[in-house]
Amino acid sequence: MIWLFFLLLSLFALTLMAMPLRGRFQIAAIPEDTTPAVLLDQLEEVKRDLDRGVISEAEAKAAEQEIKRRILMQSRKAETRRIATNTGGRIVLILGAVFVPLFAGGYYMTMGSPEIDSLAFADRTAEREEAAQIADLSSQLYERLVSDPDGGPSEGWMLLGQTYTRMGRFEDAAEAFKVVSERPEADSAVFSMLAEALIYAEQGVVTPPAEAAIDRAIAMNPGNPASVYYKAVALSQKGESLRGYDLLIERLDAADGFYPWMESLVAEANRIGDGIGKTPLSLADFAPTVNAPGPTADDIANAQDMSDDDRQAFILSMVARLADRLENEPDDLDGWMRLGNAYSVLGEAEAAITAYERAQELAADLGPPILQEIADALKRLRQ
Amino acid sequence: MTPEIGHFALALALAMAIVQSVLPILGAARGNILWMQSAKWSSLGQVFFASIAFFALLQAFVTSDFTVKNVVENSHSLKPMLFKVAGSWGSHEGSLLLWVLILTVFGAAVSVFGSNIPDSLKARTLSVQAWISVGFITFMLFTSNPFDRVFPPPVDGQDLNPLLQDVGLAMHPPLLYFGYVGFSIVFSFAVAALIEGRVDAAWARWVRPWTLAAWLSLTAGIALGSWWAYYELGWGGWWFWDPVENVSFMPWLMGTALLHSAIVTEKRDAFKSWTILLAILTFSLSLLGTFIVRSGLLTSVHAFAVDPERGLYILGLLAVSIGGSLALFAWRAPVMEPGGIFKPISREAGLLINNLILATATGIVLFGTLYPLFYEALTDGQKLSVGPPFFNAAFIPIMLPLVFVMGIGPFLSWKRADLPGVLQRLRIVAVLTVLATLAVWYIVRGGPVLGYLSILLAIWLFMATLKEWTVRIKLFEVPFTESRRRAANLPRSVYGMTLAHTGLAVAMFGFIGSSVWKTEEIVFVQPGSQIEIAGFDVTFEGLERVRGPNYVADRGKLTVRQDGVFVTELFPESRYYPVAESNTTESAIRSTMAGDLYASIARPASEEAGAGGALTLRILYEPLVNFIWIGSAMLVLGGGLSLSDRRLRVGAPRRGAAKKISDSAQVPAE
Repeated sequence: MIWLFFLLLSLFALTLMAMPLRGRFQIAAIPEDTTPAVLLDQLEEVKRDLDRGVISEAEAKAAEQEIKRRILMQSRKAETRRIATNTGGRIVLILGAVFVPLFAGGYYMTMGSPEIDSLAFADRTAEREEAAQIADLSSQLYERLVSDPDGGPSEGWMLLGQTYTRMGRFEDAAEAFKVVSERPEADSAVFSMLAEALIYAEQGVVTPPAEAAIDRAIAMNPGNPASVYYKAVALSQKGESLRGYDLLIERLDAADGFYPWMESLVAEANRIGDGIGKTPLSLADFAPTVNAPGPTADDIANAQDMSDDDRQAFILSMVARLADRLENEPDDLDGWMRLGNAYSVLGEAEAAITAYERAQELAADLGPPILQEIADALKRLRQ
Repeated sequence: MTPEIGHFALALALAMAIVQSVLPILGAARGNILWMQSAKWSSLGQVFFASIAFFALLQAFVTSDFTVKNVVENSHSLKPMLFKVAGSWGSHEGSLLLWVLILTVFGAAVSVFGSNIPDSLKARTLSVQAWISVGFITFMLFTSNPFDRVFPPPVDGQDLNPLLQDVGLAMHPPLLYFGYVGFSIVFSFAVAALIEGRVDAAWARWVRPWTLAAWLSLTAGIALGSWWAYYELGWGGWWFWDPVENVSFMPWLMGTALLHSAIVTEKRDAFKSWTILLAILTFSLSLLGTFIVRSGLLTSVHAFAVDPERGLYILGLLAVSIGGSLALFAWRAPVMEPGGIFKPISREAGLLINNLILATATGIVLFGTLYPLFYEALTDGQKLSVGPPFFNAAFIPIMLPLVFVMGIGPFLSWKRADLPGVLQRLRIVAVLTVLATLAVWYIVRGGPVLGYLSILLAIWLFMATLKEWTVRIKLFEVPFTESRRRAANLPRSVYGMTLAHTGLAVAMFGFIGSSVWKTEEIVFVQPGSQIEIAGFDVTFEGLERVRGPNYVADRGKLTVRQDGVFVTELFPESRYYPVAESNTTESAIRSTMAGDLYASIARPASEEAGAGGALTLRILYEPLVNFIWIGSAMLVLGGGLSLSDRRLRVGAPRRGAAKKISDSAQVPAE
């Protein structure tokens, strides 16, 4: 539809530009030099003024003389100035006409956003209602939490904080996370979410309170990717880019497979690395190719240039490959753990549960840490 | 979809401008009629596509389409419709789009209405106009695109600066831009004439209506802006020598000089270089104004240096257009033959003084405007402000002699004039002027000498201009019916001049009265407080909370009495716009011809200062201030009358002055 409009506009532009070509055009009706006409008009004026009696006879005569003298001078000049006119150059004119839609099209292809539709405010009632509903629910939740004599359950505060974050109310989100962070059950994730909210509330600047939260998160779980990410941001803002960079690389190296968060870490590493002269990295450098077939380095390099939809499809295909492989190697505990994690990230809870259940069987005699992890994951998924 | 169509249309307009900037001017050089004629169609195409773009943006504002970034940043769904519409040109990007639209309108107007202009001059003029188009459309598309999109769209917009939500200001930018951009066509004519290598009476005649149209729009725009500042800002002043005001005032001063200089070129074939130079400078100052306002240079030189993309682009544009045209002027102007010769005492000489004074005055304003910017840049961010004291000391003493000459000028004849004769005619005017000034002094008493001198000159200008008109129609010299016949027969441009010159005198009464004899009281008030000002007793009755479409306001109620007799009630408001989180004042004004009683209230900046609910009430009495608007309207009307007069006056000796002065002194000697 929109391209039809563009086509019509282009055709109209083309037609306009080609107008001088149509059939017999009239040779310019105006003589090259119209000055004598203006001067003749002035002469008429003198006569009219004389008739009305606004100037005297002598004045009129003098003025007439001067104007006549100028007419004479002008016509003498005009003779020498006349240039031969011609009507060639049709090709150039056509080229000029064709240039117009081509140029506009070329410009638009790079700068336009044809995919974004217009959206009048009046047509967005549903969206507004939803937003209002969320705002309403979150304020109800807030009321409940603050009126709770025990200070409200931590899950409630976390939910409130995450809702506020999605609404873009980062300061409120930070307040909510802060409540939980002061409780004994606060874990690394709470502190990294608090840090994130604080940083967003300051338009990306890592303030001392935010950095304190990051440090707490790292102290509790040095592998928490979110806190590593923000620690690197904090370091680069303090001018210690190299340390931040190394921290990111270290965490990426420690990863035992592909995780969605690795993309952000690689991107940040490249952003920081760009300022200190590091060569750009690609996700493929870190996603292990052990237990092939996994994504090849090329696959992952491609994934970075993909649109969100393509990337989603890419991840799905990778997960499918992993699942296929596990059909043949059903005893790969690590593989099942990764598959479970991948499905839960993708929101396919049932498939994730199946994978984790298989892992649970395999890990039955491996002891509490891994079993506890699996049990936690299953509990989360079954909620 | 509409914003994208607007975006694409703008790209088409740019492409057309690119072709138009090359083909017609080559055609003119080679005598190729086809190429020259292409300018007509491409200029029409440009205006068509620029209109599509403009209306696409307008539609986005009207429907509050928040997928358009510019709408998000400058509008809000709750904003009254009028200001949604005005929002489309209230923003940086939108105002540029309006700029370009007006530019293309002027170009197309030359194509359509300029049927009597020779093809080659027209083609060259339109090519030059297209250069400007290319400069501005690329500036817009590459640094300030009004059609940038955001997706997903935010829930609502960020509102337009509430100060700008005002009817006066909604109309102010379009008029101002009409003036600014109107001078572009005069500039294009001047550059084309330089390339062509000739300037003659016909050229001056073609240029004149465009100059007049631009000048009167600019006059109206400045007057509206000043009126807006008067009743919206809440300080009671109408001119602050603020850089934003100055940059619109400079092209006006130059444009005024150009207007008068073009008359001489038209009538006497003289002042060619002057006229061309003034045309170039007037538009250059318009560009400079756009640059200073649009680059963010005014807010802070430092901020400009941090994000210089836009500013550097305009600066480059400025350098190319001003530098290029001046270089062309330096190269080609000597080629033009000098025109009619004149004596030191003549109409021409009077207009030369006019040119010189106006150019000097512009230079002073330019200095005062740019000096703080350079100072800030060179001293690493130290601010310095050049305010009214500088301008009052430098600008007014320069302009007063101009007013004096303005009274005499119209009496002088072309080529050579009889000064003693003219002065003799003006003797009675001089006596009346002095008497009237003494009367003013007797009534008012007090005030600075400069105030009385200014009043004297304003009265002088007013009376001398009227006297000139009575001389033209020979009032009291011939029977009344004959005078009436003469009055009816006078060309409209004569009435235009009379109206504009008396308009300036009338506006001067306003300038002087409201600045020299203004009285002002700023007090903390509580319900029941009484203030006495300029013979009025004002009682502050109290405050009430009122709600507007997108603001809440504290509305004060003031009762005004004079000698115990009730005069009026005033309701000044202090408004708060929650979305934009800002306050504005809405002043309440009791207007009479004698002067305005002006009241505005504000909550004190800090709550502590306002302990006990006290408000600051600012009450002013501004004598004669309405004369400013009346005078401005007369200027605009005078310009309009002159524009409507298609007739061309000739370089004939002074008419009407014939009787008393001997013929030998009157007739130009050949």
